[in-house]
Amino acid sequence: MPKFKKSFHIKARDFIRAGEASINVQNLLKTMNLDSRLIRRIAICGYESEMNVVMHGGDGSLSIEVGADRLVLEVTDDGPGIEDIELAMQTGYSTANDDHREMGFGAGMGLPNMKKNSDQIYIESTKDQGTHVRMFFFIPDGVKTD
Amino acid sequence: LSKKLASTCFVRFDENRCVGCGSCLRVCPTKAIRVKNKKAIRIVEQCIGCGECIRTCREGAVSATTKGPGVLKQDQVAIALVSPVLYAQFPGVMPKDVLLGLRHMGFQHTIDMSYFLEIFQCAAEEFINRNRKSQKAPWPLISPVCPVVVRLIAFQFPSLLPHVLPVLRPVALMAREIKSHLVPDYVDAHRKVVLYYINPCPTKKEPSCLPRPKKTVPTEIALGINDIYPELLKYVEQIRAADRIPFYQTRFEYETCATGNASMWAMSGGEIADMDIDQSLAVSGIEETINYLGKIEMGLFQDIEYIEFRTCREGCLGGVLVAIDKYLAKSTVQKMIKRFGLGRRLQRENILRLYEKGQFQTEKIPAKLTRLFGASKKALSLEALQKIESIAKRIKGTDCSACGAPDCRTFAEDVVRGDAALKDCLLIGAPAGKKRRSKL
Repeated sequence: MPKFKKSFHIKARDFIRAGEASINVQNLLKTMNLDSRLIRRIAICGYESEMNVVMHGGDGSLSIEVGADRLVLEVTDDGPGIEDIELAMQTGYSTANDDHREMGFGAGMGLPNMKKNSDQIYIESTKDQGTHVRMFFFIPDGVKTD
Repeated sequence: LSKKLASTCFVRFDENRCVGCGSCLRVCPTKAIRVKNKKAIRIVEQCIGCGECIRTCREGAVSATTKGPGVLKQDQVAIALVSPVLYAQFPGVMPKDVLLGLRHMGFQHTIDMSYFLEIFQCAAEEFINRNRKSQKAPWPLISPVCPVVVRLIAFQFPSLLPHVLPVLRPVALMAREIKSHLVPDYVDAHRKVVLYYINPCPTKKEPSCLPRPKKTVPTEIALGINDIYPELLKYVEQIRAADRIPFYQTRFEYETCATGNASMWAMSGGEIADMDIDQSLAVSGIEETINYLGKIEMGLFQDIEYIEFRTCREGCLGGVLVAIDKYLAKSTVQKMIKRFGLGRRLQRENILRLYEKGQFQTEKIPAKLTRLFGASKKALSLEALQKIESIAKRIKGTDCSACGAPDCRTFAEDVVRGDAALKDCLLIGAPAGKKRRSKL
């Protein structure tokens, strides 16, 4: 089964360029003429996870893997990790600091939003070693193959 | 890419003037331009009519497909549909004098947009008010006024089409009014009626350019402000020189009067400034527009109710077909607002009554545009994406554009789609050991 994978670098604390990796993923998927609602969901997940890395994580990457009937959005970083994943998944829970909130972030919606907009989400995190999130999106009609 | 594609709906390229410098390649937001054989050739379906290529071309090889000066004929009833941007081109001149100048030029009727801008504003406010309860459309709603923005959304951000405010654009309301109230009398009298849209940008399509040409009565023609400016300026100066302005008999008030509220629309932010909506933003410039649309797609700005986008910097007075500098025009508008104030003329209740009847709503725009742009790009397959990636890796791009594509990735895509040959790339195309030597 053919697969396509591409990954984009995310730099920690770089708020100016935050969102670029996610936009690159979007542009890539748009060339495949996928359903626009699906692209929107991936865009939201991409952005939320990218912001998480920029705010809390270390350097990391956002990668997209396109299979015949599914997309996998993967985000990894080498930051401090999430101590209590279950707590982090709750709406409104945030470890953002005042600087983040001043910029309009830190509403505690990131992970819940990612969960809401993806079909499946897996989070692995080890303290002081980083976080690895995988989000699955199923494509009912499949992607175009030759 | 065939030669006949070089001239299309919004802009045309003059092959004799084009030197193949490629400036237009790089500014095109939809990557719709390629240079072949040192001449700019466009890919028609991707053009959204923003006019950035006109703005950037130093050779004057790109022009709008407007009609140009001297089109008025004696035997026709010429009706000018005036955008408020026109008034901004005449510092210190009252809008009514500009309209009078147009009539001296030979337009029988000059229709000012103020009324229709007010109607639009009122209908937009009403939709937004109701949307707070019904949540029929997602926040933020996006202004449908700039047609380039709507096309950009259809082409590049189709997931945002439900965000486009489903209210008829002011110019559409204006054309509808004219066609139903002004034109029929002339048609009954067997006169030929021509509607001239006097525009600051090249965005009005010639009916003959449409996929299925509409057989509309009357004929509709687009004119750039800069097309008519020299002649109009002459008449306006004459009018200003006269001691007394003669009273001019007209049929409708909207043929003579403009409001401060309307003149403000020429500037970025003019649409939302007087609207009854607290959470609104105005964004202008093509780069910023793309940037913000991307952010909306990623789920940002959901706390904003309405966003006004204009792809020209500073708004419509920064359009590519205007006659004077945009900052000068902006100061003209600001002085006009100071003089006229921002009062509205129309009775809100009357407009709301028509709103109830569904007079202003339109659901058609998104569906129509999706059809138009949805078919223009063939979907790339998984294998094609892999090929593009491997070509891009081989090029290790510097985005030099020497191949005739705007950047390396687009070039790789062109190769895979079969529209370009790999040998066109200077970095990997030239066979090793056969470097070109200069004969000096």
